[in-house]
Amino acid sequence: MNNNKKKQIIKAIKSNLGGYLFLAPWLIGFLVFTGIPFLYTFYLSFTNVNQTALGWQIKWNNFENYNDIFFKNTQFLPSLLEFIIMQVLYVPVILVISFILAVLLNQDIKGRAILRTIFFLPVIILSGSVMQQFISSGAANFASINSIFIFHIVSNYSRFFAQIIEVLFVNFTIVLWFTGIPIILFINALQKIDHQLYEATQIDGASWWQILWKITIPMVKSTALVVTIYTIVNLGLYNIRPRQSNITAIYDLIKNALGVTSNGLGYASAYAVLYTIVVFILVGFALLVLRNRDKVKVVESLQERQQKKLAWIQKRNKKKLMKGVNKND
Amino acid sequence: MIKVEKLTNYVKKINYQHLRKKIFGNVTTDGLVFKIFVYLLLIGISYVFVYPFIRMILLSFMSQKDVLDNEVYWIPSKFTLESLRRACEVLGLPRNFKEWFNFKKVFKSSLMNSIKISTLYGLIQTLVAALTGFAFARFKFKLKNFWFAMVIFSFIVPLPVVMVPRIMMFETIQMKVKVLGTIYPQLFLTLFGQGVNNAILILIFYNFFKMIPHSLDEAARIDGANSLQVFWHIFIRMSLSIIVTVFLFAFVWNWNESYMTSTFLRYKIPLLPMNLSIFDSTFSNLYGGSNSAEQIRINESYKMAGTLITMLPLIILYIFAQRQFIEGIERTGITGE
Repeated sequence: MNNNKKKQIIKAIKSNLGGYLFLAPWLIGFLVFTGIPFLYTFYLSFTNVNQTALGWQIKWNNFENYNDIFFKNTQFLPSLLEFIIMQVLYVPVILVISFILAVLLNQDIKGRAILRTIFFLPVIILSGSVMQQFISSGAANFASINSIFIFHIVSNYSRFFAQIIEVLFVNFTIVLWFTGIPIILFINALQKIDHQLYEATQIDGASWWQILWKITIPMVKSTALVVTIYTIVNLGLYNIRPRQSNITAIYDLIKNALGVTSNGLGYASAYAVLYTIVVFILVGFALLVLRNRDKVKVVESLQERQQKKLAWIQKRNKKKLMKGVNKND
Repeated sequence: MIKVEKLTNYVKKINYQHLRKKIFGNVTTDGLVFKIFVYLLLIGISYVFVYPFIRMILLSFMSQKDVLDNEVYWIPSKFTLESLRRACEVLGLPRNFKEWFNFKKVFKSSLMNSIKISTLYGLIQTLVAALTGFAFARFKFKLKNFWFAMVIFSFIVPLPVVMVPRIMMFETIQMKVKVLGTIYPQLFLTLFGQGVNNAILILIFYNFFKMIPHSLDEAARIDGANSLQVFWHIFIRMSLSIIVTVFLFAFVWNWNESYMTSTFLRYKIPLLPMNLSIFDSTFSNLYGGSNSAEQIRINESYKMAGTLITMLPLIILYIFAQRQFIEGIERTGITGE
């Protein structure tokens, strides 16, 4: 018995040792280059950072950086707003389009492989600089809807919305390019759904619309969450804007701030912190919307509830009794 | 009279239900109308997908005259290599056929730099991702779930937020040893598992290693193999196909990476995508810039030619290895869990 326990402990130690040994390169890298820097940036955003010949001069200056960003700087807030608009606008569109395409591709269709190859192509060849060239040369501009009647109606109501819709259509190709990986993930998820489920519902007389909403969508919900988070992260990496304006993209803004010599890094870290908070809020929102809500709720039966109540009353009575005994003493 | 009778007979013979089923479909099968609709939709969308690429390819083969001609939009009236040649020059590549055979020059060009650096980073990233994936798939250790969550975290956290301390770190080292402007900063990052999209690569390995049956490595352990031997002789040997996939992804992502490369490499070593991002300024340095509307349109065709050249190695890679790429994403296993 004792020997057995010893063996178990030795095994656990070995497993821990082995695990951390293999994890070591990543772990060191994570701590040195990602984990600690992440926290350090939060600290830096409250400081004044200057590079001197001797090294880095870091001076605490309270909320000065944030104060400047919110009340003096005219560049950052518009860029951040632009970024949020882009995310809120593009992410649902990408999610829906990639889901529809995945459903269509999951059918018995000729040329599936070719279509899948085409849809995946942008994942391989798109980089920041390529995207920039496509946008600046206008080759990615797909359709201009300026001349469509409905667009004029919208435009009369709100110039802002009209701009957004217009750019969504003009940049439709670019939006589509982000669906490469989501489509593959969705197809994979769709193939994992048991066919018997579909057959059972078909026998019960469900239409394809009902099947879509009651079976397919709940089953791919976890994938949708992954896709959403991936898209949020991925969209941030490219220099695209939701409308035509000369507002600098937020990624560039932070990068430019890195080059400024007097307290550039302090501002840059404050920018980065705000940017990160926004990204995390977006991811959190995605988690909230797409989380699994179908956990089995424990519904107490009447009997159980009565028993609980009874136990509670008994406990209370006991206490009362004890108090009474104490008083009598 | 006889003819009409024949016709009515013929019409009566048609099985309407069957026809209806064929055209509109029923619960179990899709009708013709639906199928046509699906095909049209898919073809339409794939057209939108590839439209810019087709336009890019055709623009880069057009002569200046065709670019300016409003009547020529798709097919050039004469295929020329003029724009490609210019783009080659701007991107720092040999511009003649002859020079392409001058291997010394080619070997020093931005193309070779890109290939060399992406290969190096890709190989290191693959190795580190395999080690990490193995640790998560086969060992039970304390805080395992926490570190696994941190892998995901490192994917979600935006790069700028960790960039400032990284820059400070390397600037501090820079005072003693010159590291900025060389490949070493990124080499360190990849060596310690913080390369581009490293989390996805780890997930691919993790899910593949989890599928390998436990009995295999237990048998090896009974025969006296240690963890490193198990890793090398069983896991690496068994997952050669997945290693190729991961390496391809790492290669492509390192090729396309621009944020870290531009901050750490600082354009000291010319890379193909880097040269593309400063195409405009290099171009105006070489040929002088004029801002007439015509010149801008011609410049666009040069830019598209440059983009095509930058993409070409990746497109060739994709043609040969598309199956690996798509399966790689399927194997991340993030779906369904």
